[in-house]
Amino acid sequence: MDTLFTNVRILDGSGTAPYTGEVLVRGNRIARVARSARTISPAGAAVIDGAGATLMPGMVEAHTHFSWNNAASLADIQKMPLEEHVLWCARVARSYLDHGWTSCVGAAPAKPRLDVVVRDAIDSGLIPGPRYLAASQEITVPGGLGDETLPHLPFPEFSFSVNCNGPEHMRAICRMFLKYGVDSIKLNLSGDNLVPHASAKTHWMTDAEVAVAVEETRMRGKRVSVHARSAESVKQALRHGCEVIYHASYTDSEALDMLEAQKDRIFVAPGLSVIFKLLEEQPVQARALGYEEELAAAIESLKAMHRRGVRVLPGGDYGFSWAPHGTNATDLQYFVRHLGMTPMEAIVSATRLGGQIMRRGHELGEVREGHLADLLLVDGDPLADLALLLDRKRLLAIMKDGRFHKAPEVAEQRTLRPAAYAGVAA
Amino acid sequence: MASVLFTNVRVFDGSGERPYAGEVLVQGNRIARVTRSNGLRALPVAGVDVIDGAGATLMPGMIEAHTHFSWNDQPSLDSIQRMPTEEHVLWCAHVAERYLSMGWTSCVGAATAKPRLDVVIRNAIDAGEIPGPRYIAASQEITVQGGLGDETRPHLPQPEFSFGAVVSGPEEIRRCVRQFVKYGVDQIKINLSGEYITGLPAEYTPFSDEEIAMCVREAKRFGKRVAAHARSNESVKQCIRHGVEVIYHASFADEEALDQLEAAKDRHFVAPGLAWLINTSFHASEWGLTPEVTRKMGYHRELEIAVETLKKMLRRGLRILPGGDYGFAWTPHGTNAKDLEYFVKYLGMSPMEALLSATAWGAPIMKRPDELGRVADGALADLLLIDGDPLADITVLQDRKRILAVMKDGEFHRAPPTRTAARNRWSQAA
Repeated sequence: MDTLFTNVRILDGSGTAPYTGEVLVRGNRIARVARSARTISPAGAAVIDGAGATLMPGMVEAHTHFSWNNAASLADIQKMPLEEHVLWCARVARSYLDHGWTSCVGAAPAKPRLDVVVRDAIDSGLIPGPRYLAASQEITVPGGLGDETLPHLPFPEFSFSVNCNGPEHMRAICRMFLKYGVDSIKLNLSGDNLVPHASAKTHWMTDAEVAVAVEETRMRGKRVSVHARSAESVKQALRHGCEVIYHASYTDSEALDMLEAQKDRIFVAPGLSVIFKLLEEQPVQARALGYEEELAAAIESLKAMHRRGVRVLPGGDYGFSWAPHGTNATDLQYFVRHLGMTPMEAIVSATRLGGQIMRRGHELGEVREGHLADLLLVDGDPLADLALLLDRKRLLAIMKDGRFHKAPEVAEQRTLRPAAYAGVAA
Repeated sequence: MASVLFTNVRVFDGSGERPYAGEVLVQGNRIARVTRSNGLRALPVAGVDVIDGAGATLMPGMIEAHTHFSWNDQPSLDSIQRMPTEEHVLWCAHVAERYLSMGWTSCVGAATAKPRLDVVIRNAIDAGEIPGPRYIAASQEITVQGGLGDETRPHLPQPEFSFGAVVSGPEEIRRCVRQFVKYGVDQIKINLSGEYITGLPAEYTPFSDEEIAMCVREAKRFGKRVAAHARSNESVKQCIRHGVEVIYHASFADEEALDQLEAAKDRHFVAPGLAWLINTSFHASEWGLTPEVTRKMGYHRELEIAVETLKKMLRRGLRILPGGDYGFAWTPHGTNAKDLEYFVKYLGMSPMEALLSATAWGAPIMKRPDELGRVADGALADLLLIDGDPLADITVLQDRKRILAVMKDGEFHRAPPTRTAARNRWSQAA
């Protein structure tokens, strides 16, 4: 059945100011968008009277780790056995959809097949979840971010990453993940301040290794994404044609020029939450790890990128005890408060630009005729208060692919509930 | 949790009494009061959700005595292990929900295809992370080389090929049991007889007494129960001799075995799993198992003998329980209520007995004899609202649409369909 949203303020994701209108959904697509009330015939459609609520595109998370398990440390991720981890990922996938994220870009699972299996289960309708691009594990080198083995416990199962040694080993690793069916290969080019022995400014992978990863991945039409906090790692990624750059905290003028030169091809998702929230909640520890300095640098880098027209997207590294899954819309507030984005730009980064990082910019990320019907009905104006998007109660309806994941609530406060007969649909 | 009053229902209470018009009040996760009514409302309705059943049958949630969540509705045993662990976990979660939706509010795990599937699913259900029935988690099937559950080939000897755990000798079985106990199973499964489709005939009895004794001793040391795949006469006797409480199949039990079983009937449970024998014999042609093939395998003869054996058990007052080996292409999960129809058709049970076998008789196998399987004051609120009278037509329980509501532990998994006018500030149905 068609669905007609009427009496809604349409925030279409393109960047134009919201307008009052109607949207008709037919099948899994937006069939019509009208700029005034009572234009589209409601015949044969379920009519949702939005009463002035905002209708906007479903949001796109650019850096998602379903398998991060809201624990306090990286080591805790791998303590979860495989079976429990699968159920955890399924539950987290659903919670993203519950919070209005109708698409997510996988940024690396903790065990080899978690992302692929959850994506396939979503696509086959076995479990509810967002559109999903499945990633490989993070590929790192011994001692780098993601290698959690200890000298006396060298077992690879301890690590959420895969250790790589040399170009041919890289080829074998990439081919394994491509066999599993990933949509992207993830490389850890820089370290991370969460790992003191491999801090953000350190640099780990040889050009020869990166080149092989890109070659193998491109051959199958897939994408390389990188963990790159240092300027050197950002430049390495750009040199090799990696498409998705996570973090990019430290840049120099050369890096910024390179970013700008490739701005129509690349995406940057800074994943600021880990830094902001750790500084808020554990300031002493976070400062000792160097996060205060990194944040200052990252803000300058990202402001410059935004000014130069580089696409900066929300999402990133939610799934720790201090930044649990579901609070991802906080990123939009960071963008406005710290990076100089307008609220409209923040919305566009989560919608239109999100459609592009999903590789479906032509059909995803905007309320536009012919686009896929991923829609949110929001109680209030997100442009006036981006925090609305953090409140599940304000998300009155969530539609993915033309079907309600959350149907708009209907009034029912009756104590007498006659049970009907079998002929009435359950 | 709101209290719920079912009014205007015919109560089948699991006591063996004919259904009566009445009302049932659920408070929290328990049945607070059951009353008989004469069309007048007897219980106060203030502060409770009232479900007017309009004459529907209210009965206890059903109990499945032999469940394999991890069997994946495929046409061969080999297909089970071709499913990777990650997919298998999601499959089991999906199947658990299917059982609950079809009115099975309790299930006894009869073996899992990979070591931890049952335990993980039970824990996730208990934690409220996924919907599913109350569940007794089982180990893999412990078996011998070449026995049911050993799916390795001479050139592919890796244990991951098998849904069973292959052991040889008492010390290996000890180690195997302890591993499953560590994982947290409730029940150890051992394959004491063969199974025609695997090539080891059902009348073979491959385990030594030393091995079984060790298995049971180790399981009991940790307070666990043992269940056995026991088709052969000797394997049934081994169960009785060694204190294996749950006997699956028991097709070839002779008079001596039945005497022993009758003498120990308060200790043992029998679940024959007739669906497998019937459907493999007659309804698996689509998958290459024509009646001709399965007759040659021995299934037709086993079915005939099993039916006679089970009838004798019933005459001796032994209780047999429904469930068993659903999860093959020709016995898909969710169709389990066919067992009740088979009990009536093949074993001559009355519909009342068949209904009791799925409710009150099953409560002890869930280790909660006084709390499950009854609609009685103080019992756990596992309830089904059925459109129709299962005593008049036992097959209504096979029809999802006729199961109007499923409640487990005082909460609706499937709430009864209600007539509502969808209309508020935000939405309006066309």
